[in-house]
Amino acid sequence: MPLLINRQVVSQDNWQFVDAEASLEQLPKDGDIVVPLALWLENRDALAAHNGALGVQFNGDDDIEPLLADLDKLALVAVEFPVFRDGRGFSQARLVRRAGFKGQLRAVGDVTRDRFEYLHRCGFDALQVPEDRFTPETLNAFGEIGAYYQGALDDPRPIYRQGR
Amino acid sequence: MYQYNEVDQKLVDDRVAQFRDQTRRFLAGELPDEEFLPLRLMNGLYIQRQAPMLRVAIPYGLLSSAQMRKLAHIARTYDKGYGHFTTRTNIQFNWPKLEEVPDILAELAQVQMHAIQTSGNCIRNTTTDHFAGINANEIEDPRPYCELIRQWSTFHPEFAYLPRKFKMAVTGGPEDRAASQVHDIGLHLVKNDAGEIGFEVLVGGGLGRTPMIGKTIREFLPKEDLLSYLEAILRVYNLKGRRDNKYKARIKILVQALGAEEFARQVEAEWEQIKAEQPELKLTAEEIARVQGFFKPFDYDSAAAADTSLADKLASDTDFRVWYEKNTVEHKVDGYRGVVVSLKPMLAPAGDATDQQMDVVADLADSYSWGDIRVTHTQNLVLADVRNADLYAVWQVLAEHNMARPNINMLSDMIVCPGGDFCALANAKTLGIADQINQKFDDLDFQYDLGEIRLNMSGCINACGHHHVGHIGILGVDKNGEDWYQITLGGSDKEDASLGKVLGKSVGADEVADTLEKILLTYVESRVENESFIETVRRIGVAPFKEKVYAAAH
Ligand code: SF4
Repeated sequence: MPLLINRQVVSQDNWQFVDAEASLEQLPKDGDIVVPLALWLENRDALAAHNGALGVQFNGDDDIEPLLADLDKLALVAVEFPVFRDGRGFSQARLVRRAGFKGQLRAVGDVTRDRFEYLHRCGFDALQVPEDRFTPETLNAFGEIGAYYQGALDDPRPIYRQGR
Repeated sequence: MYQYNEVDQKLVDDRVAQFRDQTRRFLAGELPDEEFLPLRLMNGLYIQRQAPMLRVAIPYGLLSSAQMRKLAHIARTYDKGYGHFTTRTNIQFNWPKLEEVPDILAELAQVQMHAIQTSGNCIRNTTTDHFAGINANEIEDPRPYCELIRQWSTFHPEFAYLPRKFKMAVTGGPEDRAASQVHDIGLHLVKNDAGEIGFEVLVGGGLGRTPMIGKTIREFLPKEDLLSYLEAILRVYNLKGRRDNKYKARIKILVQALGAEEFARQVEAEWEQIKAEQPELKLTAEEIARVQGFFKPFDYDSAAAADTSLADKLASDTDFRVWYEKNTVEHKVDGYRGVVVSLKPMLAPAGDATDQQMDVVADLADSYSWGDIRVTHTQNLVLADVRNADLYAVWQVLAEHNMARPNINMLSDMIVCPGGDFCALANAKTLGIADQINQKFDDLDFQYDLGEIRLNMSGCINACGHHHVGHIGILGVDKNGEDWYQITLGGSDKEDASLGKVLGKSVGADEVADTLEKILLTYVESRVENESFIETVRRIGVAPFKEKVYAAAH
């Protein structure tokens, strides 16, 4: 699946996304893994001992409040968009960044062209795009609208502080 | 009015190019239908019964004459020669071709207009008082804040995929001509004990399937904090609003489920964090002043009040005097009046204007009202700043073009949604019923005797015609494929907002006007001196009306 990081296609992705139903025992012994939020919350200590980097995945249905204190233990946070109309992930991304998370914030699921710019502005640096929805042209989505009124994660200045 | 700078223009121009490409990809099969749908909706494009429908934004209902002429041009060139002004103070074109929509948007961009966020589950056009800036009772002109909200909400990256559409209204003082209490957010400019100006914030009002009056969640919000507070409300809503059922997805349902107090607590908690994280969001005094600079009072003519010609004309021309009494309002500057241009002629859809009428109003605005035109949520237009001495000339031109029916705030000044003739969601037709009512009550003297009556009609429960808050509300319902109409009494969208109560079982399409007659005669019999229709309904309740209407049916 094409992965964009900071608006560029990258070919290498070391992260393994663990199945939503996986138990602790079924996890790969090493390597960089992304586990579902519930698994993380139940097994923080065991997972902290994992040999490799850790990531957590959730979607709009999840209450991420308990996760916000754990972010320093994670190198990746993946927010799933079950359908593109579900805009909760945009706000969740902002909460994760506000809590101080500096690692990779990845949008997964129904992540397609016409939302790239907004995702980026809300703090996602990584976008995982379904294979069939990606062409090189897709990258033109960035910068289609060449100005913005609001401050966001990429630039906190609203229009009245942009010195225009 | 507000004038675009380079950034504003660039945003709109870029949007045109973006939508052109989206349309191209859709037509080429590269963009799936279900994904083009929200994109075109966020550009105001619906697919309706007959053809696509394009809704163009008129931010807070304010238009320049050049913009009005452009709308006329679009109606003439791309449509069938007319447009329809809506309760959101926008304009809809009913017959554009999908392939031509990018061209229409490009034309609009030439006059600083667009169709951005006029539909879809995003922040919609903010509405306000159509007498903003001219009414003596306002604390401040609300329009600069509407413009600040417009900018903040346009392409907001976090709030483009909300659970449901989101509408705000702002009033400048204690009078409410913007139906603010039935909006997702209502903002009222208020002054606190220290004499500072800020906002009272109401949340969770709305119409539709579950009508509700908004609840105050903050008595006083300093105006510099307007945007950070809105951001907090929207974030709580975006995260917590229901997405499993579109009929329960509006913010009113969330506010009801949590309780206004708990909702307010969550907003305040989020707001504290936003203020700490994004201090930049606080509005600067310079920015507020900059935007206010676009809405400064005009250079009014100090000699206007000395005019005597108006008094002469009023004395000598009865038709003019009646129009003056019904269709013009006081202006805070002596020697000026606000003129309401009636888009409620005898037998034509409420809120419709032909390309020629639009051009005429634009010319009048240029000649007599500083080139500005306003749209009211009751689907009329306003020329807000006309000198007394010019009223007669304005009236003559309006009358010549069928826009001077002296019926503002009267029974026939109905709000009517397009209904089953145009709207794909309708359960029943509305336009024919409006005609039926107009024919039955064609005697304006009878209407004047009745006094102020707000009659609102919707073709389905979505309530675009605001039927819940009409003094009399008419809702089209479908019974086994037939059009029936449910009547409510006692609604109001003013500062004393209330929801109408159902009169009884719905009536057939040919009985609506007769039923209204019984209701109105009951009022005439029951009113005490100087009592308005709504006051009588509030005093005696719905029961006496119900009795008359249904007893007489046997
Ligand atoms: S109230 Fe119903 S019929 Fe009327 S315009 Fe709205 S959706 Fe259409």
